[in-house]
Amino acid sequence: MTGAALALFPDWSGPVVRYILEVGLPTTLRISAFAVLGATVIGILLGTLLTVEFWASKTAIRGYIEVFRGLPILVTVFLVYFGLPALSPQLEFGPVPATILALILWGSAQVAEATRGAVGSIPREQHEAAAALGFGWVGRHVYVIVPQALRRLLPPLVSLLVNIIQNSTLAAVIGGIDLLQSAKAQTERLTFFPPAGIGEIHAVEIFGFVMLLFFVISFPLTRLAAYLERRLA
Amino acid sequence: MLAVYDLWTFVAENWRELLDGLVNTLKVSLIAIAGSAVIGIVLGAARAYRVPVVSQLAAVYVEVIRNTPILVQIFMIFFALPQAGIRLDAFTVAWLAVMIWGGAFNTENFRAGFEAVPYRYREAAYALGFGGISTFLNVTLPIGGRIALPSSINTYISVVKNTSLMYVIGYPELTTTAINIANLTLETLEALTVLAIVYLTLVWGLSAAIRMLESKLAIPEMR
Repeated sequence: MTGAALALFPDWSGPVVRYILEVGLPTTLRISAFAVLGATVIGILLGTLLTVEFWASKTAIRGYIEVFRGLPILVTVFLVYFGLPALSPQLEFGPVPATILALILWGSAQVAEATRGAVGSIPREQHEAAAALGFGWVGRHVYVIVPQALRRLLPPLVSLLVNIIQNSTLAAVIGGIDLLQSAKAQTERLTFFPPAGIGEIHAVEIFGFVMLLFFVISFPLTRLAAYLERRLA
Repeated sequence: MLAVYDLWTFVAENWRELLDGLVNTLKVSLIAIAGSAVIGIVLGAARAYRVPVVSQLAAVYVEVIRNTPILVQIFMIFFALPQAGIRLDAFTVAWLAVMIWGGAFNTENFRAGFEAVPYRYREAAYALGFGGISTFLNVTLPIGGRIALPSSINTYISVVKNTSLMYVIGYPELTTTAINIANLTLETLEALTVLAIVYLTLVWGLSAAIRMLESKLAIPEMR
């Protein structure tokens, strides 16, 4: 190995990078995938129901949206992770499922708000035409209105994906071994004396690597969201 | 056996610590909001007017901050910078981290605001003999700043919410204080209720303030 490569990839970096990529990254991706899926499905459902003129459902969904958009996501994570088990022992979740659940609560509130606007923007004639073809309320929305609204929903959904990937790091706060927590664990391990570690601090390099990973994942997605936004405008 | 849910006793016994926590949250938020407003106006202007070098550096700053999790940024400042010899106490990290984060979002808010000011307004200022800087201060900033107001207030609301992340560095703002009390007294639900009520009051209050400001400060021609 040449000197430059040796300086760029010192001996300690191999196991650290492997642990972060093999343990941390899959957890981050798993949290993000489940959270995006759940938030999108529940958000579109709630947002569509919000367009129904019935005061009880409107008040309930409005309240849900305002509460989970208003709370800091960390507080929602604590509500799920500490609050639910205090209510009932059956509602105890591990750090990863608790983070997924909290991100679904937050994300679905964001999606519901965006869906309300997107569904509301579909012209009334579309409803009438679908009704004339014999569709009921459910069929009308499932086959005609929501598919058209999805086009308008695409940019906010890509932004949601970016936000959820970044906020999945909240799992680290409650002990889930995601990208951030795996990096923290490796940083701490290296400070131990051999054989566990090498008795050195390499926090800048390791957290810098984590920042780089997130940037490489997020940057193309934010570009994509901006592009979709421009194309719709 | 856990005690029954009793919010009033919890608040009555712990209101001093909780109030201190809230004051710390507000203190950190206000410093960060003021700082991110300055960063946003200066770098937003540099971006809008394509000031060489500064504009490119600002673009890199914005993209790095917006595309990495704020929690990683906090870890970087609090746990990694000491390795480079930069040791900051928890309070400094608290306002600095959210200020840097808010500044990046505000740069984009103000850039969009300044770019939305019609060129003919500036042309009119030049015709009246205003120089470049006085045109910016008297025309672009008041009009563009008002266009950027709703989005920048949304950023400030996020800044307030993000101060809760200082839990990870142990800075005793509201979230850290409430969770620490809950860990001691096991009154988890009461502590979480207080957190939810206080944050929702802050956030909803600020949102209501935006709507009032928006109608008051709306630019007549653009209404």
